[in-house]
Amino acid sequence: MDSEIITNIFGDLTPVATIIILAIGVLSFPAVQMFGKKHVVTWIYALVIALVALAVDIILLMSDYAGYYAGEDDMANWIVCNPYTLYMQLLFLTVLTITVFVCHSSIETTKNHSGAFYSLLFGATTGMLFVVTTYDLLTIFVGVELTSISSYAMVALKRKDGRASEAAVKYAIVGGMSTALTLYGISMVYGTTGTTDLILLQAIMFDGPPFTWLFAIGMICMIAGYGFKIAMVPFHMWAPDVYEGAATPVSMFLATASKKMGLGVFIQVFLFMFIMAKTQVCGEAFQYVFAILAAVTMTVGNIVAIAQTNIKRMLAYSSIAQAGYILIMMVVMTPEAEAAGLFHMFTHVFMKGGAFLIVGALICAGIGEKISDYKGLAKRAPLIAFAMMLFLFSLAGIPPLAGFTSKFFLFASAVGGPGDASAEWVWLALVAILNSAISLYYYARVVKAMYIEKGASTEKIKIPKPFLVAILVCVVFVIVLGVYPDLIFGYAEAAANATFGI
Amino acid sequence: MIPMEYFLILAAILFCIGAYGVLTKSNAIVVLMCIELMLNAANINFITFAAYNIDTIELLTMEATAVGQAFVIMSISVAAAEVAVGIAILLNAYKIRKTTELDDAELTTMRW
Repeated sequence: MDSEIITNIFGDLTPVATIIILAIGVLSFPAVQMFGKKHVVTWIYALVIALVALAVDIILLMSDYAGYYAGEDDMANWIVCNPYTLYMQLLFLTVLTITVFVCHSSIETTKNHSGAFYSLLFGATTGMLFVVTTYDLLTIFVGVELTSISSYAMVALKRKDGRASEAAVKYAIVGGMSTALTLYGISMVYGTTGTTDLILLQAIMFDGPPFTWLFAIGMICMIAGYGFKIAMVPFHMWAPDVYEGAATPVSMFLATASKKMGLGVFIQVFLFMFIMAKTQVCGEAFQYVFAILAAVTMTVGNIVAIAQTNIKRMLAYSSIAQAGYILIMMVVMTPEAEAAGLFHMFTHVFMKGGAFLIVGALICAGIGEKISDYKGLAKRAPLIAFAMMLFLFSLAGIPPLAGFTSKFFLFASAVGGPGDASAEWVWLALVAILNSAISLYYYARVVKAMYIEKGASTEKIKIPKPFLVAILVCVVFVIVLGVYPDLIFGYAEAAANATFGI
Repeated sequence: MIPMEYFLILAAILFCIGAYGVLTKSNAIVVLMCIELMLNAANINFITFAAYNIDTIELLTMEATAVGQAFVIMSISVAAAEVAVGIAILLNAYKIRKTTELDDAELTTMRW
C-alpha cells in the first residue's frame, strides 16, 4: 500500500499523524458529551477516532514508512518514526479500539462520566504513542507521565466503589514514587553525560561508559523507576490491587497496553543504550542484572498466582510473569530476541485481553470474580467457556495457539542458533520453561472449574453483543497468530532491525 | 563560587528524606508531600548540572544546558498534575472509606 494518502494530508507531520488524531479526540470528547447528551454519541465518535488512527497506522506500517520530524531547531531525534514505532503504535491502537468497543456495554464503565472517561483513555494512549515515537529521555518521561496520570484517574473513575478507590490511592502513591525515582535517575545520567538524547548516549556507551558512581546510581534509579511501570518484581505489589479494583475494561487496558509501554521504554532506553556496549564490561553487567530480574519476575509471578482465588488477581500475577518472559529480550540483546519479545507482546494483547474481556462480560451478566463462581460455566455458556479455555491455554503456551508460537521464538532466541557458540542464557530459557509448566497448574484450575465441577445454577448466560464480538476477534487472532505467525512476525523483525540499526 | 558537590549533596539529602517519608509515614497526604520532596531533589540536580557542567564535558553545548532547564520545567508541571490527581483520588477514597491513613484496615483490604 502507498503512504502517499497519509503524507498528502499530514505533510511534515506524518510521523505524528496518529498522535494528532488521538489528541483531537482527547480535546473534543467532553464537548461532544456535553452537546450530544447521550453516551452512545460519544461512544460512536470515540470508536470512529480510534479506527481512523488504527487505519492510518496500518497504512503507514504496510508501506514501510520511515521518517522524522525535526522542527525548526533541527532536533532530529525528538520525533522519529520507524518500523519499531509503527509496530508499537499498532499494538496500542489495537488495544484502544478493543477497549473503546466494549466500554459502552460494560456496566462497570457506563456509570462513569463518559466524556471524561474517553478523554482519559485516549490521553493515556497518546502518551504511549509519544513514548515509542522518540529517542529522547525528556519526551519519554513526559509521555510516560501522561499515561500514568491518566491511568490513576481512570482507575478512580469507578466511583462509589471501595476497592477502586483503594486501588487508585495505592496506584497514585506508588506511581508518584516511581516518577520521582526515574527523574532522579535521569538527572544523574544527564549530569554524567551532558545529554538526554539516546542516540548520543549510545555513542557515549560505545566509547566506554562513564564508570562513575553518579552514572551507576542513575541507571539503578531508572531501572527501578521504569520497573514499577512494568510491574517487575520486586516493584510489582501495586499491579494485582489495581487490576482487581479497576473496572474490567480499564484493567484490560492497563494489563495489555500500559505494561507494553513500560517494556517499550525498556527497549528504547536500556536495550538501545547497551547494544553498542554489549561487548564491554558495563553492558555485560547489565545483561546479568536483567537476567536475574527476569528470572525472579517470572518465578514470583507464577508462584503467587497459584494462591489466588480472585480471577482478576490471578490474571494480574500471570501478567507479571509474562513481563518476566518478555524481559528475556533485554538479556539476550540480539535482533532475534527483540523480534520475539515484540511478537510476544502482540500475542499477549489478544490472550490476556481476551481473558479480561471474558471476566468483564461475565461481570455484566451478574457472575462474580471468584474462580469458584466459574463452576459449571461450560454448561451455561459453552462458547465463552471454550474461548476462556483457549486464552488460558495460550497463556500457558500450548500449541497450536499464539502463546506457544511466541514463547517458542522467545525461548529459542535465549538458547541461540546451532552455529551460536554462546550458551550463556540456556539456564534462563530453562527457568522460563519450568515456569510455563507451573503456570499451567493455575490456568488448568479455572478450566477444571468451568468444565468438570458442577455449578449451583444451570441457566444460560446472556452477555452483551459487543463483548461477544471482541472476544471472537481475540479468539481468531489467538488461533491465526499461532498457526501463521508471519502475519505479524515480519513486522516484529523489521521493528527489531530498526532498533539495532540494521 | 560554591562547589557543585554542595548542591548535589543537598539534593541527595532531600531525596533520602523524601524516600524515608514515603516508606514510613502512614498518612497519605504526608506521603504525597514526601514524593514532592523527591521530585524537587531531582530538579535541583538538573539545574546544578545544567549550570556547572559546562567545562567538564565536551559534548555539552548551549543546547544541552537548555535540555536540563527544560526538564525542570516539565517535571514541575508533571508534579503539579500528579498532586492534583493524587489529592482528588484521596478525597474520593476519604468519602468512601473515611480515612487517609495508609495502614488503616479500611485502606488495606486487598493483600497478596
